[in-house]
Amino acid sequence: MGTVYHGQPWFGQRLAEKHDFLRERVLMNVQQRSGSGPLVQSPRSPSSQSPYLTVSVSDPAKMGNGVQAYISYKVITKTNLPEYEGPEKIVIRRYSDFVWLRDRLFEKYKGVFIPPLPEKSTVEKFRFSAEFIEMRRQALDVFVNRIASHHELQQSEDLRIFLQADEQTMERARSQETGIFKKKPADLMQIFKDVQSKVSDVVLGKEKPVEESNPEYEKLKNYIFQLEDHLAEAQKHAYRLVKRHRELGQSLSDFGKAVKLLANCEGNVLGKAFTELGAKSEILSIKLQKEAHHLLMNFEEPLKDYVRAVQSIKATIAERANAFRHHYELAEAIKFKEIDMNKLRLTRSEKLGEAEHEYEELKADGAEAARRFDRIVKLMNEEIVRFQEQKTLDMGLAFHEFAKGQARLANSIAEAWRSLLPKLEACSSA
Amino acid sequence: MNVQQRSGSGPLVQSPRSPSSQSPYLTVSVSDPAKMGNGVQAYISYKVITKTNLPEYEGPEKIVIRRYSDFVWLRDRLFEKYKGVFIPPLPEKSTVEKFRFSAEFIEMRRQALDVFVNRIASHHELQQSEDLRIFLQADEQTMERARSQETGIFKKKPADLMQIFKDVQSKVSDVVLGKEKPVEESNPEYEKLKNYIFQLEDHLAEAQKHAYRLVKRHRELGQSLSDFGKVVKLLANCEGNALGKAFTELGAKSEILSIKLQKEAHHLLMNFEEPLKDYVRAVQSIKATIAERANAFRHHYELAEAIKFKEIDMNKLRLTRSEKLGEAEHEYEELKADGAEAARRFDRIVKLMNEEIVRFQEQKTLDMGLAFHEFAKGQARLANSIAEAWRSLLPKLEACSSA
Repeated sequence: MGTVYHGQPWFGQRLAEKHDFLRERVLMNVQQRSGSGPLVQSPRSPSSQSPYLTVSVSDPAKMGNGVQAYISYKVITKTNLPEYEGPEKIVIRRYSDFVWLRDRLFEKYKGVFIPPLPEKSTVEKFRFSAEFIEMRRQALDVFVNRIASHHELQQSEDLRIFLQADEQTMERARSQETGIFKKKPADLMQIFKDVQSKVSDVVLGKEKPVEESNPEYEKLKNYIFQLEDHLAEAQKHAYRLVKRHRELGQSLSDFGKAVKLLANCEGNVLGKAFTELGAKSEILSIKLQKEAHHLLMNFEEPLKDYVRAVQSIKATIAERANAFRHHYELAEAIKFKEIDMNKLRLTRSEKLGEAEHEYEELKADGAEAARRFDRIVKLMNEEIVRFQEQKTLDMGLAFHEFAKGQARLANSIAEAWRSLLPKLEACSSA
Repeated sequence: MNVQQRSGSGPLVQSPRSPSSQSPYLTVSVSDPAKMGNGVQAYISYKVITKTNLPEYEGPEKIVIRRYSDFVWLRDRLFEKYKGVFIPPLPEKSTVEKFRFSAEFIEMRRQALDVFVNRIASHHELQQSEDLRIFLQADEQTMERARSQETGIFKKKPADLMQIFKDVQSKVSDVVLGKEKPVEESNPEYEKLKNYIFQLEDHLAEAQKHAYRLVKRHRELGQSLSDFGKVVKLLANCEGNALGKAFTELGAKSEILSIKLQKEAHHLLMNFEEPLKDYVRAVQSIKATIAERANAFRHHYELAEAIKFKEIDMNKLRLTRSEKLGEAEHEYEELKADGAEAARRFDRIVKLMNEEIVRFQEQKTLDMGLAFHEFAKGQARLANSIAEAWRSLLPKLEACSSA
């Protein structure tokens, strides 16, 4: 994910290899949008360079004081697309700006799996720790880049505002959202439940809510729910492994110090062996802390990212259910209206004209609802394929990083102790 | 070699003329822990098997049943009778009730008791002890009687050993010197030794504490890796062919490594942490001997002072030709006899301690070297297995992430 993912790449050197794969996808997406076809430079157009759009989120800086304090980030956009002020634009954004962008895209691009955001920090004292800030910066960088490389989402007007507007315009846009559109992340599943109850009450009188009868889609939903559970479990235990590495490292460091003190009581050979053992323990302790950090950034965080991605898919599933019910609701209403109208025709009622008018409106709404639902289905089908491909790659990479880091650490440890064995052997047989 | 010196048969050579001319031996083992009784009264009994050809013992093999308090009796008796010798240490009483019957605790205790008895049996002085013979051979009733006799008179709880030290300090201050600084040997070599022992105890205790924490961390890491492995296997069910297989293997490897971690935790405990703990106890035993030496010194000094004062008194009585002179001369002779005995006791302690210190240093160097060697070996072995396991998975995972 080379040029697309600026700043520190998530998965180390592997990303350099990902670079070409993803850059082509971005270029293809961008070209389809600008309608310039395959990756060929047209000799006649003066600005005939291949279109590109790369974004980076960097330089977190603490702003303000006390309770009002927050982190701001530099968002740097490099592009040659005509809709953007190129070639480079830098804006300052904060977490709630990213939330605004995500919420707007969720509203407008139903059917698309909106890339997930890192959570708000629940623990106050952790909010400004270097580790948390870096984890968040990385996740925000990935978030924006996923949007910029998505065929549909990259065309969004809201993305353009986010990447280019000055801070005042951004703040104004952000405060407009309050109350009307603003859905908190925790409420996404609540939408699902609300819609269920609303349809039950209004259309079916507290009966079982209407759902699509689509076996393939049922399988997909089950897969998504199961995947979320297992991913969340895996992430929880991955985080515990990080903690265990830290704890083992700390204990080994304490142990090394204690052994060095013991060395002062001992004679020549044994004392020297102990001093070396103590020193090695401290060195290995540092390696353990490094591996804990590597595990966190290159394994646990990618897993967490996928849990969020799957939760985003669940939100889309809820939106599809909404759209289906709305469509179904109107289809039912249209049927009832037809029955009504036939009754009115038979009785030659005066209300026929009004009914016919309402009927036409219903049919127009019905067609629109059907159109919306079909679009969501179409988009979701494409999204699922992309998701599966990307997930296989990212998961394979994350677990590869896991095994690599573990092997590397174990190697260092085995080395260190093996090098000491001859000296200790000499002491115990002297 | 110690046993031969005792029976006076010289170097390890069979004399052709003596019928029972086999080299003398005395080996003991503590084994087969068994839970006896129920509820609060429940305790663990051990088989103590003695194999010997020494004339004082019922050979060639004798099996008796002993419990922890019997070992405590033996230690206390030896501590009373062999002042100057570093009495081998006992494992502590268990403070946590629920832990008292756990397999691990029982095994750790059995091992420590076995080491305890064998150290006594291989000690030049201690192996000649009548109390050792009672311990190794007497029937259970005789043992129980001997044990209950100790209560009240001789019985010092381990925690009280340092209290003796403090008590003696205050007693001498009060009786001889009237609350002034207590009398101590002015022996620079001995001062150095005492400082060394106190410092060694601190550092050993710290090392043992952190060694125990390392055992815990290994267990915790092992547990987390096992949980992780199970979860990854579940995740594998959601995944397609190549990735799913790689995950299943990764989950399986995690569980295997978890077991290795638990094994290494156990190895660390038995072959590293327990030896360190044993040495902390051994150093505490040395501190008890240091306290006994201080006792003996003060007693010796006390009497020497009393003798001086008596001489002064007697000279006064001679000058005044008092009737009390006879009685004073009698007391004077008694004091001189006591003083000679006290000096003898103190000198014996000093002599024994000097031999003991040399043995202790040699043995400690060996044992510590061994324990730390076991530590490094175990760690290297574990790390090797772990590196192996993950390396073997890398090609498969690499295939998934570039497919």
